[in-house]
Amino acid sequence: MRTRTVLAAAAVTLALPLLLPERHLPVYVLLLLAATVTAGVSLLMGYAGQVSLGQAAFYAIGAYAAGLSAVHGVPTLIGLLVAPVVAALAAVVVGAPLLRLRGHHLAFATLAVHLILLSLLGQGTWAGGAIGLQGIPPLSLAGTPLRDDVGYAYVAWAVLAVVLLISHNVVDSRAGRGLRAAAGSEIAAAAGGVPVGGYRLVVFALSAAFAGLAGGVYAFYLGYLGPGSFPLLLSIEVVVMAVVGGLGTITGPVVGAAVITLLVQALNELGTRPGMPSYAPAALSYAVYALLLIAVVRYLPRGIVPAVAVLRKGTS
Amino acid sequence: MSDLLGYLLTGLGIGAGFALVGSGMVVIHRVTRVVNLAQGAFAVLAAMLTSALLATGLPHGLAEGAGVLVAAGAGVLTGIVAIGRPGTEPGAALIITLGLGVLAYAVEVTVWGDQPRSYAGLPGAVTLGGARIQAHYLLVIAVTLPVFAALMAFFRGTDPGKALTACAENPYAARVVGIDVRRMGLLAFGLGGALGGLAGVLLTPVQQVTFDSDVTLIVNGFAAAVLGGLTRPGVALAGGLLLGVAQTLIAGYGGGAHQLEIALLVMLAVMVAQAVRAGSVREVAR
Amino acid sequence: MSAVAETRGLVVRYAGATALDGVDLTVGEHELVALIGANGAGKTSLVRALSGLVRPDAGQVLVHGRLAQVPEGREMFAGLSVDDNLRLGGWRNGRAGRATGPVYELMPELTAVRHRAAGTLSGGQQQMVAIGRALMARPDVLVVDELSLGLAPKVVDMLVGHLRRLHAERGLAVLLIEQNARLALELCDRGYVLEAGRIVLHGDADRLARDPRVAAAYLGGHVAAEEPR
Repeated sequence: MRTRTVLAAAAVTLALPLLLPERHLPVYVLLLLAATVTAGVSLLMGYAGQVSLGQAAFYAIGAYAAGLSAVHGVPTLIGLLVAPVVAALAAVVVGAPLLRLRGHHLAFATLAVHLILLSLLGQGTWAGGAIGLQGIPPLSLAGTPLRDDVGYAYVAWAVLAVVLLISHNVVDSRAGRGLRAAAGSEIAAAAGGVPVGGYRLVVFALSAAFAGLAGGVYAFYLGYLGPGSFPLLLSIEVVVMAVVGGLGTITGPVVGAAVITLLVQALNELGTRPGMPSYAPAALSYAVYALLLIAVVRYLPRGIVPAVAVLRKGTS
Repeated sequence: MSDLLGYLLTGLGIGAGFALVGSGMVVIHRVTRVVNLAQGAFAVLAAMLTSALLATGLPHGLAEGAGVLVAAGAGVLTGIVAIGRPGTEPGAALIITLGLGVLAYAVEVTVWGDQPRSYAGLPGAVTLGGARIQAHYLLVIAVTLPVFAALMAFFRGTDPGKALTACAENPYAARVVGIDVRRMGLLAFGLGGALGGLAGVLLTPVQQVTFDSDVTLIVNGFAAAVLGGLTRPGVALAGGLLLGVAQTLIAGYGGGAHQLEIALLVMLAVMVAQAVRAGSVREVAR
Repeated sequence: MSAVAETRGLVVRYAGATALDGVDLTVGEHELVALIGANGAGKTSLVRALSGLVRPDAGQVLVHGRLAQVPEGREMFAGLSVDDNLRLGGWRNGRAGRATGPVYELMPELTAVRHRAAGTLSGGQQQMVAIGRALMARPDVLVVDELSLGLAPKVVDMLVGHLRRLHAERGLAVLLIEQNARLALELCDRGYVLEAGRIVLHGDADRLARDPRVAAAYLGGHVAAEEPR
């Protein structure tokens, strides 16, 4: 039954890029990339119990890693593979001291990491400074550069599939069980021989790798990167997606990313209609993030996916 | 030498603003255990409102007062949403305040647009020991210090102030003696809102405000507050002033635009040092 | 004799587990009543229900007059001074009712430490502050949850002396919850025995002290009357 659902979802999402009108493809690509980043946040928050308000920093690091290496002549596919590695390494360097922190301290620390990175990117001439990094070549697969949105749609699909598969395996692994125990009571887990600190760092690095991989795809897809592409709000957005979908679930990030992206997209179209004030799109998207986040934390604290699962159990 | 004095006073003025934001977070955190991510929004809200009221011709003083009052109200509303449901975990409340901070963006952009706003503060400049500084910085200091004195007097010398401390020290015992802990939490949120709002109305004449200025304020405020473990308003004051002075000195002596990064690095270093110390204490205790 | 505090068929559950299962208990005016029971019998749930800190799932809690609680573990406001702890005990009275003088008259031992932080006091001093803080509410009935826990016998004697005097001079009713059943039954007029959320025995304190079941379970196997004093 579950396998059949997964296969059906895979078939539908694989058919979509061919069925969707051209103008909707960017939304499809960005939705899947957001889901990929959110999968990492969900793992981090749901299993390691850590709030990260700086996840988009690793998205940016992956994007810049891929973009810079491609601009300097490294084959693009290698650049895409370098992206998650660099992001994970950055997470290990940053996480080693910062993961000593808990709760709101860690939340502020990750937010600080994001802000410091933005400032470094804005001032570093190697990264194009405030103007950004231009002229990133398209991703080449088997010698063929991808120039259409459809191609990137399938790349994003594959990336998300890999990330969800890894999440699934991590959740079922020894480390996953140890982390869940640690999220409940860290002292008890440590007393039970779970190397809590090590696992936390691994999950932090893994979630950064997810973000970095998505960032790599983003760099090749847009062909341009600037500090402005990674505002603080992006980090908050993925937290909203993770919380709304349901933390610590495999499908939660996808559902959360889909709900938020589609809602924001719909409101964006409403907000850009003639006669609407210029601030309408921004105000509407802020309102959506805010109200969904507040409503879910207050009324569906475990998120949409677990809530729906409970409902279905109740009715069947 | 005269440069130094100028930088010092300017830094104290800026730092006083951080201290107000930070102490607002402390007042809320010690009673409710919630770190309020909407704290910067109170400042922006009050500043925007004051700017709009001044534009309608309301005199100075009244406009600022209205801004602070509305920020206090926003604080209470934040509290109702964040801790109004019995049994809300501080972690969940943190996420709710994050949501409210973003909601404030929607409101501010809708009502006041997304362009920077400012208004005239205390006009003129003062020459002190050879240093010329904007008079408004002195006004910021002259308002902040008595406010902190009043805050201390409130906590140390009045029963409601002691009741707030009691809720922070031992919420169960507070309930036993009949203190409504939730109501005290809302009072703390209102007080935090007013302190944040005051920071906003005081700083805007020297630092223009946009809807997302809250990030800078909250990061600096948290950095100031975290020095005192988020429980001591007095340390938040010292921390905020120190941060303001350090940033102004570095900018003044050629550090360029690295002020925020300095606050961030100080905050990270302090938090990690505190965590390491707490960790070693825990290990010794075992 | 009319009741100052009573429960009728009181049921309290936490997350499905039943802590109290139909408890009927009465404390009359000027009466000293003991409640004894083992750990986990439901004593603290009863205290919280009487103080209005948990809502009954069934049954009634009736308090005629004022009830104040001396909570288990003293529960000081550790960073506040003794005097501030006492003042806050009168929180419900309004400002005029928060003068702490009468408490120092009753327990002069506290006068010397009135400006010290409550967290720095000895256990016995803290228990006095806890009693004083409860008295500040000007109660008709005082619920004392574990008076003697962790305190030296001499200190307990002094605290018992204070309670006796309060009862004798002010007619204060007391519900004393104690692990030390001997102490409780000596001090009080009547007693209740709580086991697994139900009252299993109640009656005059003397009679309870002589009851072989009480002796076996709570008095270390000896019948109280046979114990030399």
